[in-house]
Order: sequence, then structure tokens, then C-alpha cells
Amino acid sequence: MIKKIVLFTLFLFNVQVNAQNQISIQYEYAHNLMKTRQYFDAITEFKRTLFFDIDKQYSYSANYSIGECYKAGAMLDNAIQYFSIAQYNARTDDEKISAQLEIIKTNILRRTTERAHQILNEIEKISSINKDSVNYWRGWAFIFNDEWKEAANSFAKINPNHELKKLAEQVDMDKVSVTFAKVISYILPGSGQIYSGSILPGLISLGWNLLSGYWTVSAFNESRVFDGSVLLGLIWLRFYRGNIQNAGDFAVQKNNEISNKALRYLQHEYKGNRP
Amino acid sequence: MNNYFSNHFLNSINFYQTKVLAIILFLLPFSTILFSQTMNIDENYFSPKNRLAFGNFLFIQEDYLRAIEEYKNYLMYIDNDTVRFKYAESFYRIGKYNEAADNFKSIFYGSLLSDEAKLAFYKASFFNGSYNSFRDICKMEGYQSEKYAKDINRLFLISHLMDESILPDTNHFLKAFPDSTKNKVRELYMMKKFPSKKNPTTAMLLSMFIPGAGKIYTGEISDGITALLTTGVLAYLAANNFKHEHNFRGWLFAGLAVFSYAGTVYGSYASAQIYNAGVRLNFDNEVKLYFEKRNYLLPKINFLKTND
Repeated sequence: MIKKIVLFTLFLFNVQVNAQNQISIQYEYAHNLMKTRQYFDAITEFKRTLFFDIDKQYSYSANYSIGECYKAGAMLDNAIQYFSIAQYNARTDDEKISAQLEIIKTNILRRTTERAHQILNEIEKISSINKDSVNYWRGWAFIFNDEWKEAANSFAKINPNHELKKLAEQVDMDKVSVTFAKVISYILPGSGQIYSGSILPGLISLGWNLLSGYWTVSAFNESRVFDGSVLLGLIWLRFYRGNIQNAGDFAVQKNNEISNKALRYLQHEYKGNRP
Repeated sequence: MNNYFSNHFLNSINFYQTKVLAIILFLLPFSTILFSQTMNIDENYFSPKNRLAFGNFLFIQEDYLRAIEEYKNYLMYIDNDTVRFKYAESFYRIGKYNEAADNFKSIFYGSLLSDEAKLAFYKASFFNGSYNSFRDICKMEGYQSEKYAKDINRLFLISHLMDESILPDTNHFLKAFPDSTKNKVRELYMMKKFPSKKNPTTAMLLSMFIPGAGKIYTGEISDGITALLTTGVLAYLAANNFKHEHNFRGWLFAGLAVFSYAGTVYGSYASAQIYNAGVRLNFDNEVKLYFEKRNYLLPKINFLKTND
């Protein structure tokens, strides 16, 4: 009788082991496709793994990997969807945090930084979380939202000499003030453009304002009031207002150039973790 | 003697049991197959049966691109018209209308889904973009479905609202639509037949006589008034400067006045064209929105939602 029980147990065990082997082979196959960057096929095979995985042993890892594949293919909405499913199926705190960090990183790439901050604030309350990690990704979220000063503060919490802290500080220092550019253009037309580094457009703007101002003043001096009023309204004020608007636009453009240069460095040359 | 016999007997049993055990252990690896067969578990995830199950799962998940691959592999081994239909439908849902139409065609004959396939074929041809070709297909014999003849005819008529083709007779057109939609369809039909277009030449001539009048004609009232004032003021400034012998400024404003006048005349012509394009675009959008919301008045095919 005992022998029969042992044999039957062996039989069942064999069936179970074989089924498990099959699903693990399937998972490995999908994983290899992902490693060789065949993301479309990898997603199919991970989905197949999930479909046949009756014991739900790959519910976390397969969904997580699908998220990674979608992220690599820049399908960020889908990536977030699958990272969220992975988070829901996480069996340990580490797995849950890992999925949440991926959701944060994908939100940063998607430029939905508000949501990234929201999740960072939530996971910061978890005792087991590495605070440096939270501050690091918070810094990145600030960078992608063009808030370099706040980014520098976040990185400084990790290390006052953090490479990204220095970079963010430098970018913040290099950026020009849009308000200041506009204000000085109120006082001296063209000066805002010159302040933003666009010297020739600044001088042209100054020239147009001087010329139209001269025409307007001379018309009034010669008692041609209607002539002067039309010149003032249609020509001079138009150049004057345009100069202020232009000064703001040039400042914004200059700031964009500085930010983009820093982002290009982060994308191509920075060796640390990136979203 | 008894002891000898009992020992011999026990030894023979042990020998027998060891043999059985060896055979069982040898056969154990095959037990999975036997067990799988008896329990109806197919561990080959790429078998036709499993491909179909997975394909249906993907179809329900609206992952049509991957469902296509699974159905394709299934159909390499087993011919099944429901799967063929789903295969074609997957192409349709990802906007590959040519492939969808070709695959629907393969179920036209000798299938219980023949009528549904014909309807789906016309639907795919309709959305393919060329309404002329669609109408040509509608006239072809052999593709007709008795069951869905009315629906296909309605689609044929709707296609006339989507392009520049000549509209069929009003009564014939409206007769095909159910009473609940007749009023709106009549409205769309009239809008198509008598569009409220503006003549670009008229707009241009009006602006030649009174700068900006052409723009007012095309409905751009504020632009028209601004054009009139700008041209007028510039002409006055030119005249005034010439009068006071400021010749440079006189020529400058005269040049600007001519530029403004020419711009207004050309602008009026363009404005009429833009107006007409807007009328056409709004009409197209309205037709699409109305019929899309009602699935082009086509019946829904229910079996697609199931796992069959």
C-alpha cells in the first residue's frame, strides 16, 4: 500500500514538475527575445506565458517584462498599464517598489511629472524604501518639468557633490530671466533681446523703434496730429509692443536651448541611472 | 521444507516487484503524456488548439495584431470559418481594409457565415477610402448577400455623401433609411445637394470695387472692415504726405496702400475658397459623426465577442 502511495505521489510530482518546466521554458524563451531586443515578439510570448500560467507564478515578472518591452518601444501608456498590473501582482515589498519605480520613471519620460511626484510622495512613506532613490527620481521629475533649481535641491539631499546636482545648478544659473528681459525692453527697446544673447535682433528692434518714434514726433511737431496719431498707433506702438513680446520669446528660446543642451548630455553621455 | 518454500516464494515475489518497479520507473516520464491526454491538458503551447485559445484571448483583449499571428498559425493546420472570420476581422479592426476584404472573400462560399462575411467585406471595402471602387464592387454580381442586401444598399447610398459623386434621386435615396433617421438623412442630403458655397470670383470683384467687401461677403466681417480702414488710412496718409511735400513718406505709404489693396483683393478670393473648404469639411465631419455613432446603420455580429 505504501509503495502504491509513493508511486502515485511520484507520478503526480512528475506531472507537476513537467508542467512547471514547460511554463518556465516559455518564460525563458520570452525573456531571451526581450534580451535580443525583439520586443514585439517578446510581448507576444510573455502574454502567452501569462495565458498558460495557471499557477500565476509569472504574474509579476511577465507583466513587468511586458512593461519594459513597451517602454523600450516608447509605448509609454501601455508600459504604465503593465507595470501597474505587475505592481498589483507583486508578492513582496521589493517587487512592489520596483514596479512603482518603473511607473515613476515612465511617467517622467511621458512628461506626466505631476503623477510621478504623486507616486514618489506615496512611496516615500514606506519605511523600507531607499530615500536616496526617491530623491534621485524626484530630481529627474523636476528636470523633465524644467525645474532645475528644485532638481538641484533634490539631488543635494543624496549628496551635496552629486554630479546631477552640479549640472542642475549650472543650468539654473545659465538660464536667463524672462521677466527681466521684458522689463528692460520696456525701458530701452531691444535691450531684452541683447540680454538674451540675440544682439542683432536687439539692434534691429531698437532701430525700428527709433525710426518710427522719430516719424511720430516730427509729425506732431509739424502739427499733423492725425498723421502723428496714425503713425503712433499703427507703426510705433506696434514696434514697441512687438519688441517686448520679442524679448520674452528670445529669453524663452535661450532657456530652451540651455535645457535641451543639458538634456542631450543626460541622454547621451550621463553614465548613471536614467528614466 | 516449509521454510524453504516460503523463502523461495518471497524471493520470487521480491524479484517480481523489483521488475515491476523498474518498468514503472521507466514508464514514469511517459506518464505526463498519458495524464495530459486523459485530463485533456495540452502542454504544447504552440499546438493549434492552444494557439486558437490564445488568439481568442488576444482578440478579446483587442490585441488584434498578435491575434492575427495566432489565427494564421491555427489556420495552417485546421480550416475553420469562424476563425477565418476572426482573422479577417482582426485586419479590419487595425485598419488593414484590403487584407480584411481579401480574407472575408475566402468565406463567401460553402460557409454558414457567408452572408456575414459578405457584409463585412462590403464594410471593409467601404472604409478602404475609394468610394468609387466601393460602388463598383456593389454592382458586381456574385458578391450579393440576400440576408444583408438592404444594409449593403444603405452603405452604397451613404458613400454618395462622402465624395463628389452625383447623388441618386431623393426618393430613392431616402427610401432606404429607417424612419427614425429619415429627417437627419434628408437634411444631410439637401446640404450635399445645395451646399452654401461662396463664389471666389464674386468675392474678388467686390473687393476690387470696395476693399474688404469681398471678405464681408464670405462672412469675415471684422477682417473686411479692417481691410477697408487700413487701405483707406494708408491711401489718405500717402495723399497727405504728398500734399505736404514729404515725398519719401508719400511713396512709402502709397506703396503700402497698393500692397494692402492687392492683399485685400487676393485675400477675398482665398477667403471664399477657405469658406468653401470649411463648408465641405464641416459637412464631411457631420456625416461621419452621424453615421459612425450609429455604426453606419449596420447590424452587429455577436459571435465575435465569444471564445468560440
